[in-house]
Amino acid sequence: MVGQVIISGILSGALYAMVALGLALIFGVMRVINIAHGPLLMLGAYATFFLWQATGVNPYFTLPVTMAGMFLLGVLLQRALVFRVVDAPELSSLLLTFGISIALVNVAQLAFTSDLRAIEFLTAAWRVGPFAISKSRLIAFVVAAAITAAAFVFLQSTRVGKAIRATSQSREVAMVCGIDVQRIHLLTFGLASALAAAGGTLLAVIVAIQPEMGQVWTFKSFLVIVLGGAGNYPGALLGGLLLGLIEQLSSLFLTTQLSEAVAYVLLVRVLLVRPSGLLGGRST
Amino acid sequence: MTARRPLLVAGLAIGLAALAAYPALGTGYGVRAMLQLFMWVALAGSWNLISGLTGYVSFGHIAFFGIGSYAAAILISKAAWPWLAASLAGGAVAAGLALVIGIPCLRLKGPYFAIAMLGLNEVLRVLASYFEGLTGGGLGLSLPTLQATVPIYYAMGATAAAVTLLTYLVVTSRFGLRLMTIREDEIAAEAMGIDTFRHKLGALLLSAVAPGIVGGLAARDQGYIEPISVFPLAMTITMIVMVLFGGKGTVWGPVLGATLLFVFQEAVWARFIYLHQLLFGAIIVAVVLLMPRGVLGLLQLKYRLPRTL
Amino acid sequence: MPVLAVEDVRKSFGGVTAVNGVSFALERGRIYGLIGPNGSGKTTLFNCITGLERLDAGRVRLGDERIDGLRPWQIARRGIGRTFQVIRVFPELTALENLLVVTRGSHAEAERRGRELLAFVKLESLATEYAGNLSYGQQKLVEFTRVLMADPALILLDEPAAGVNRTLLNDLLAAVARLRDEGRTILLVEHDMKVVMGLCETVFVLDHGEKIAEGPPGAIQADERVIEAYFGR
Repeated sequence: MVGQVIISGILSGALYAMVALGLALIFGVMRVINIAHGPLLMLGAYATFFLWQATGVNPYFTLPVTMAGMFLLGVLLQRALVFRVVDAPELSSLLLTFGISIALVNVAQLAFTSDLRAIEFLTAAWRVGPFAISKSRLIAFVVAAAITAAAFVFLQSTRVGKAIRATSQSREVAMVCGIDVQRIHLLTFGLASALAAAGGTLLAVIVAIQPEMGQVWTFKSFLVIVLGGAGNYPGALLGGLLLGLIEQLSSLFLTTQLSEAVAYVLLVRVLLVRPSGLLGGRST
Repeated sequence: MTARRPLLVAGLAIGLAALAAYPALGTGYGVRAMLQLFMWVALAGSWNLISGLTGYVSFGHIAFFGIGSYAAAILISKAAWPWLAASLAGGAVAAGLALVIGIPCLRLKGPYFAIAMLGLNEVLRVLASYFEGLTGGGLGLSLPTLQATVPIYYAMGATAAAVTLLTYLVVTSRFGLRLMTIREDEIAAEAMGIDTFRHKLGALLLSAVAPGIVGGLAARDQGYIEPISVFPLAMTITMIVMVLFGGKGTVWGPVLGATLLFVFQEAVWARFIYLHQLLFGAIIVAVVLLMPRGVLGLLQLKYRLPRTL
Repeated sequence: MPVLAVEDVRKSFGGVTAVNGVSFALERGRIYGLIGPNGSGKTTLFNCITGLERLDAGRVRLGDERIDGLRPWQIARRGIGRTFQVIRVFPELTALENLLVVTRGSHAEAERRGRELLAFVKLESLATEYAGNLSYGQQKLVEFTRVLMADPALILLDEPAAGVNRTLLNDLLAAVARLRDEGRTILLVEHDMKVVMGLCETVFVLDHGEKIAEGPPGAIQADERVIEAYFGR
C-alpha cells in the first residue's frame, strides 16, 4: 500500500515540477505571482481535447501544437497587460493576473460549456508485481520529466536561458550586461505558459476537463516553489516530488480535505522557518 | 477646513437620517439592495483597515466573513441564539481567527502574506465541508425561517457606519499613521522604534471583526449557507477592487468605491449573466492599470485633500 | 561607563566578511566619526548596532544592557536614533506626520514639539506637505528632525553631508554640535573629510571590515595605515 502510494506520488511529482517551473520562472524573473497560470493549463487541456476530437490524433502528439499556441498567448498577455505591473506593488500584479484568470475561465465556459470532457485513451494500467501503474500517468511522468529536463538544459546552457537566469538574479546587472530585459520578460511568460500547456495536455488524458480545473494548479504550483525555494529553479523539482509524496501519503492516512489543510500548514511553516525553501537558495 | 466642518457633519447627519428612514419609504427590493450595499461598505472598509493602511494584502479576507457566517449560523440553528447576538459572536470568532492566523502569517512579507491568506480561505472552505456534523458539509446549513429584513437592514447599516467611523478614528490617530509607515517603509518604521508586528496584528484584528459580524447577518438574511457561498475568492477581490477604485488608505474611499461598483453591478453588469465574470475580469484589469490610486487617492494627491475625505 | 560599547562584532554575508571583529566605545556628550573607503563595512556596522542585521558574533552594549539580539524597534526605544544613507522618509505622510509617528503620550504636545523642530530647521511652512513632494535637502532635514523627535541619547548619522548644499550643511553641523552640548552622543559616517575633521573629537577608521585606526582627527590624518587604505594599492 505504501509502496503504491510512493509510486503515485513520484509519478504526479514530475507533473507538478514541470507546471510549477513555469510559475517559478515568472516569479523569479518578474516577481509576479501569476494567478492565471492554472487557467492557462486548462486552456492547454481543452486544446488537446478538441484536436483529438477533431482529428483523432494521438493526444500526446498535440503537445508541440498546444505548447506553441500557449507560448504565443503568454507572449501576448505579457505584451498587452502584465508588463505594466512588473514593478508595481504585489497587489497590482495579483489583481491583474486574477482578472485575467477569471476572464479566461469565463471564456472557456462560454466557448466550451461547463460539461465535463474526457479523452478515452490509454485508460488501462500495467501491473508490476504488486503495484498497479496507470499507463497515462506513467507517460505523463516520462514526458513531464523530459520536458523539465529540456527546460533545465535550456536555462543552463543556451544564451537566452542564461539571460533569463541573469535577469532573475538581478535585473539591473542584466541590463548593464546588455540584456534586453523586456524581451526576456516576454520569453519568460511565453515559456511559462508553454509549460502550463504541456501540463494541460498531459492531464487531459488523465482527468476530466472542465473550465475550472485550472485554479487549484496555481495554488499547487505556488506550494511547489515555496517547498523548493522561490527563485531556485532546481528547487522546483524537489518541491514537485515532495508535494506529490505529501499529497499521496496524507491521503492515505487522512481524507483529501484534511490533506489540503496539511499542505497549507506546511506552506506557512516552510515560509516562516525557511523562506528560501528547503534547498536553501539565495538568501535575502 | 474648520469652516467647512459643521457643514460636513450636517450633511452626514442628513444622509444617515435618510438611510434610517428608508425602510419606511422604500420598496422591498430597495431595502434589500441597500442592505447589500451596507454589507459591501463594511467589507471594503475592513479590508482597507489592514491592507489600505499597512500595505499587507489580505488576499483571503472573505475568510473572516465565512467563519463569522458559520459561527452565527451554527449558534442560531443549533443553540437557538437570537440572530444579533449570534452575529456579534461571529465577529468575535473572526477576531479570534485573525489572532491565530496573524501571529504566524504577519511575519511573512509581500506576496507570501497574500498567498498565505488566500490559502487560509481555501482551507477554511474545505474544512467547512469536512466537519459535516457541525456545518452540514457540502449540503450547507439551513436556518429556521424568519422575516427580519428591516432589523437586519439596521444592523448591517450600523456595522457599515461603525467601520467607517473606526477608519476615521484610526486614520486620524498616531496608531493609523504608524500603520501607514509600515506600508511606506517597514524597515525604517522599525528603526524609528515602531513595533511593526504588534501594529499589523492590531490592524488585522480590527479588520476582521466587521466581516465576521456582517457574515453572521448575511447568513441570517439569506437563511442558508454553504461552503462555496461564504468563502468565495471573488468576494475578496470585489472588496479589494472597491477600495482600489474609491481610494485606499482614505476614510471615504471604500464607501465611494463600494457604492459606485455596487450600483454599476446592479444596474448594468447583472444583465449580462453569461459575460458576468469576463466583465468582472475586465473591470479588475482596468482599475489596476488605469487608476491604482483610486478616485479619492488622485484627488488627495492633486489637491492635497486630507485622508479623512 | 561608555554610552555604547561595540565588542568584537562580526558579520558576513555568504562568504564575504563585512565587519570583522570591530570594537570601540563611545563616551557621553561627544561626536565620533566613522570613516573608511567604500565597502569597508560602515553601514553594515550601523545596521548591526541598530538591529537591522543580526551579529554573527560579538556584543553591543547600550549602557550596561546588551542590545544585540533585540528587535530594531526595541533598540530605537532604548535611545538610539539613526538616519539612512539613502533617505528613508515616509513619502505619503506629511512632514509633520513623519515626526509624529515616533512619539508617544499627548498628541497635542507631540504636535507642538513637531512644529517646533520643523521651525528649527526652517520647514514650518511645509509641515503639511507630503514628504515625498519635498526636495532632497528638505527630506534630509525631515529625516534628521524625525530622529530628534524621539529624543535619543545616541544618534547615528549615515552621511549627513552627502548631497546637501553649503548653507544647509552649516546649519546641520551647528545643530549636531548643539546636540552634543545637550549631552547627547553622535556617531557619524561621512565621506567629506572636512566635516569629519572639523566636527569629530575621535575618529575610527574601517578598512575591509576591520578597525585599522582610532584617535583624534589630526593623528588619523597622519596615520600611515589610513593613508595606505585610502590611497595605497
